[in-house]
Parts: sequence; C-alpha cells; structure tokens
Amino acid sequence: MKGWLNGIGWVTAAGCNGGRNFDQQPLCAGVVETPKRKQVFANPDLRFGRLDKFSKIGLGAIAFCLRDGDAEQWEEKRQIGIVTASRYGCLQTDIDYLGTMVPDNGALSSPKYFVYTLPNSFLGEAALRFGLTGSTLVLNQTDTTGGLAAIRYALEELSWSEQPAILAGICDLDPPINLATEAGYPGSLFMLLSKEPSTTVSSYGELELRDGEIIFAGAKVADFRSLVGAALGILER
Amino acid sequence: MRRVVISQIATLTSLGAGLDSLWQSLLNGETGIAPVTRFDCKNYVSNYAACIDGLDAPANGSMLDTILAQLAEQLGDLPTDCRLLVASTKGEVDLLTDACRQQEEVPATVVAAPFVEKIAQQFGIEGSAININAACASSTLAVARAAAQIAAGDADAVLVYAADLVSEFVFSGFSALQALSDQPCRPFDANRNGLTLGEAGVALLLTSEAAAKQRNETPYAYVSGWGMANDAHHVTAPARDGNGLILACQQALKKANIANSEIAAINAHGTGTIYNDAMELTAFNAIFSADIPPMHGMKGSLGHCLGAAGGVEIAVGCKALQQQLIPATIGCQEAEIAAQGQIKSEVQKISGDYILSTNSGFGGINAAVVLQGVA
Repeated sequence: MKGWLNGIGWVTAAGCNGGRNFDQQPLCAGVVETPKRKQVFANPDLRFGRLDKFSKIGLGAIAFCLRDGDAEQWEEKRQIGIVTASRYGCLQTDIDYLGTMVPDNGALSSPKYFVYTLPNSFLGEAALRFGLTGSTLVLNQTDTTGGLAAIRYALEELSWSEQPAILAGICDLDPPINLATEAGYPGSLFMLLSKEPSTTVSSYGELELRDGEIIFAGAKVADFRSLVGAALGILER
Repeated sequence: MRRVVISQIATLTSLGAGLDSLWQSLLNGETGIAPVTRFDCKNYVSNYAACIDGLDAPANGSMLDTILAQLAEQLGDLPTDCRLLVASTKGEVDLLTDACRQQEEVPATVVAAPFVEKIAQQFGIEGSAININAACASSTLAVARAAAQIAAGDADAVLVYAADLVSEFVFSGFSALQALSDQPCRPFDANRNGLTLGEAGVALLLTSEAAAKQRNETPYAYVSGWGMANDAHHVTAPARDGNGLILACQQALKKANIANSEIAAINAHGTGTIYNDAMELTAFNAIFSADIPPMHGMKGSLGHCLGAAGGVEIAVGCKALQQQLIPATIGCQEAEIAAQGQIKSEVQKISGDYILSTNSGFGGINAAVVLQGVA
C-alpha cells in the first residue's frame, strides 16, 4: 500500500504554513494561535469568522496543505477524501456549547456552537471550499500508533478505494488541564497523499504501509513527528 | 476479494432488546417515540424522542455503560483475533453535561480513546480498536470500513459497535437549529417538518465467509458493496442535487457488481426533515430513474439514533432480506409525490437478493451499504 506525499500544511504553535516554505519542525510545544481569515484565505470568506477554533485550525491546515501540493484550485469537484486523527476532538467546543445550554435550561442554546460539536464538521467546511467529495471522517488518536493512525488509514483507503488522493492528518486543541497528556502536540497538520506523484510540484517522497510499518523514503517511520521531520528534511536533534 | 458476512447482531432500541423482537415490533407498526421524561423540554420546540425504556446509568457512569452491558449479553463468543470499530457521535455526553452542570472536572471517558478502550475490554478485544466519527453516517461508514478490511484480507473479524443517547445536549442543539418536529417525525411525508431523536446501541460482527463457516455461524447476510462520499456543499444542509449520496450509492452498487435493478428495496435515511428527504428522493430518482425499488425509513419507529442509526438499519435490513418484507414507514401518512408507490404506511413484500441501506450526516458525508441475502 503506497502513496505519494505531495503536500504538507499546518496550523501549529510554529504558526501556519506549508512545507515548501519552512525548514523547521512545525510540531512543537507552545500556544496555537487561532488563524485569522487573512492568514488562510486571500479572498473574503464570510463563514470563516463563525467557525470554532478547532475548525479554524483544521481548515487552515488543509488549506495550506492543498496549496503546498498545488491542489487548492478546482473547477469540478474531486473525489479526494479527508481522514483526521484527533485525541480530544471538538471537546472545547462541546464545553463552550454547554456554556450556552446549562445556565438557562436550554433556552439560549447556541446553534452556532452546536453545529461544530461534531469533530467532522470542519471536514465539511474543507470539502465545500475545495470541492472534495471523497470519504471524510475523524478517528480517535491513540498512543499506540505514534500519531500515525490517519496515515495508516489513508494508505489503506488509497489501496482499497477509487479515491485518487486523501488528506490525512491530525487536529487537536489543548485539552482541559486534568486530561492533558505528554503525547502529541497541539495544532493541526495535514499531508496530501496521492496514488500518483504530483505533475506540477515535486513530491516529498513515497510512503508505504508494509507489514504494519510505515516506510518513508525507504526508512521506517517511528511516529508522526518524525515523518514530518523526514519529509521536510529536518535533522532531529 | 473475500466475501464478507454479518454473523452476529445485537440491538437495543426504544422498541426493546434483540433483533427478533425489534423486527416483530417494526412489522407490528409500533413506535418508540413518546414524550421525553429524561429532562425538562419546556424550552425546546419538541418534547418527543424515542428513548430506551428504563435506561439508567450505573453509579458514576454513563447510560451508555448500560447499553454496552446489555449488548454484550446478547452477543456470543467473538473470534480471538477480532478488531473493534466503534461509531458514536457524542459518546458519554451525559457525563460531560453533568460535569459542566456541577462545575466539576471533565471526565476522562468523554475522550474517544478511553471510551473505545472500555468497549474493547467489555468484549475482550485486544487488537486494533478505533472510533469513527462521521456524524449520522458513522456506523454505516464503520460497516463499510470493516467490510473493506475483511475483503482485502487485512482482518478476519471486525466488531462494529455503535451507540448514541437521547441527551439534552443534542436535543437542545437540534431544537436551537429548529430541526426538531413538534410532533413525532413523518419521514417522506408531504407535510413533514423535522426530525425526532432516538437512542440505540447495536453490535454487528462482520467476518470473512470462511471464518463464519469455521465457527459454524449462520450468516444473516453478506455485505457485498459499500461507498462513501461527501456532498462538498454545506456543513448542515444536504446538497439539493444529492450528488454525494448518488456517488456513495454508485460506488456501493459497483463494488457489489450488480445492476441497479437487482436492488429489491432501499432502507433510506429518512430523517423527516424537509431537505434531507427531498435530497434522498432526488438521489434515488437519479440512480434508479423510473424504477425506484420499494423504500422504507425507520425513524418514525425508532427516532434518529445518530451514530447508531445506520447500524440498526443494517441489522433490520438483514431481517428484511430473510423475510422478504420491509416494515411500514411509520409517520408517513401522505407520501411525498416523488415517493408515492415506493413508501408505504404498511408492510411491503419485496422480491430479490439485495437491499441498499444509506445514511447522510452533518459535514456533508453520505454512506451506502449493499446487503445480500444468504440463500
């Protein structure tokens, strides 16, 4: 099961950017700033300001990823899927929504928040903006997969389905303090995995799922962060 | 590609425990929709939902714990190498709501990983276990994923477990969106005006045909086709032209390698909202032209069970193929013009080997599964 890594984009503590414009590890500790519309889209986007923070960072990372892979522009809808792994999902939005529901016994429940109390809502935002008609879903991130759950899933789907490309990545905000763990980094980072190498930009390399291991450019990948490092050519110290 | 079967089924809905009992209740035209007593509905646009009778939470636990325990009692032994795919949109949202009300710490199990781990422990599953969230298409997507894994030879057995609650969290949200019907929902009725929530738990054991034979299990049905697609249109509203559902159904039919005319019946999502039901009829018209097979929807009987909806509907689809019947579409008194002749308020006889079961959800996702009867 193979796929070409044609684009990388993120909104993390390192800021928001695409892989071709950056030479540092974007998955790092720190505060993830909510991106402004102008940082993500050059043109006005009326809905962007209404999104919750989880959706803004996820949508932003997908936008930067597609831009990095020269796949942002479209005329006809494309059968590209999105697979996201998330540890906490939209928990913060759930809590914000309950902040509107609980005080007045539901009388002032916010429909604006409620729409984003599903972790896959932002995938719909991405799908409609970029014409993506593949399968879109959110998986729970686990500690046993090294943060590679979405990459594994995407490589399998590329092999088993007709989708020519899948965006695979992570999306997480900081959790409530009592649920915080050492694992993972806050923010969102997506990779554009395609059955074929891009014809307009250079690919980062080929990924393979072989005997349960993720292989990138011929070497086994331990976790998601090292995959990002290897793709960007960063020497981890 | 290996053949995939559904070899064990457990259900718990507002119409009781067990598939045989659910099937009989559906044939009897019963509904589990009733006034809600679980929370105060005075500030909401509806007070109807389909709740599981007497569903209580254990001390310091979630009502989902009770559903889990009851489903585990219904299932037989699972294969030792079984994987787990969980499909729940809001998981233990009852605990999160309580914690916020009491201004207490957020409980750990509202996060998906420990929630999945709890389910894996209950079933004694030690292998791969993940939760899939694709809104109201979650369990249909999970069945599709499980079938793909087994068909490709990547797994021999996968347990799909789906459950969601009637919670004040979700009820208030749909009320705020003005999406709830003030009366029990009326799927595909010309005068429908919204959905009614429901709750359910369902467990489906999918295995390779060979594994089922080895375990002397008599399959309920084959899972012979599946497809998933996004509308790329809107986050909460379906695409008017049904493009995502059409694509998902076309993929499923192609995977099953059958002609459209071989579909004996459709189990539609049928939420009872104006736009969802119209979108589905548009899509089915586009796929089947003038020959739409008999259709039915179960949400007038069970309410909209969110992430568990598709799983329950697939379970009922297995019985429909066995019995060559589809239940009445409860709540549909005067079918929408485009559904007249296909949707009925009485049990319909069907004739054929295949049923198409579909679901759609927030985020624009659509999923379709083709079930094949076992001769």
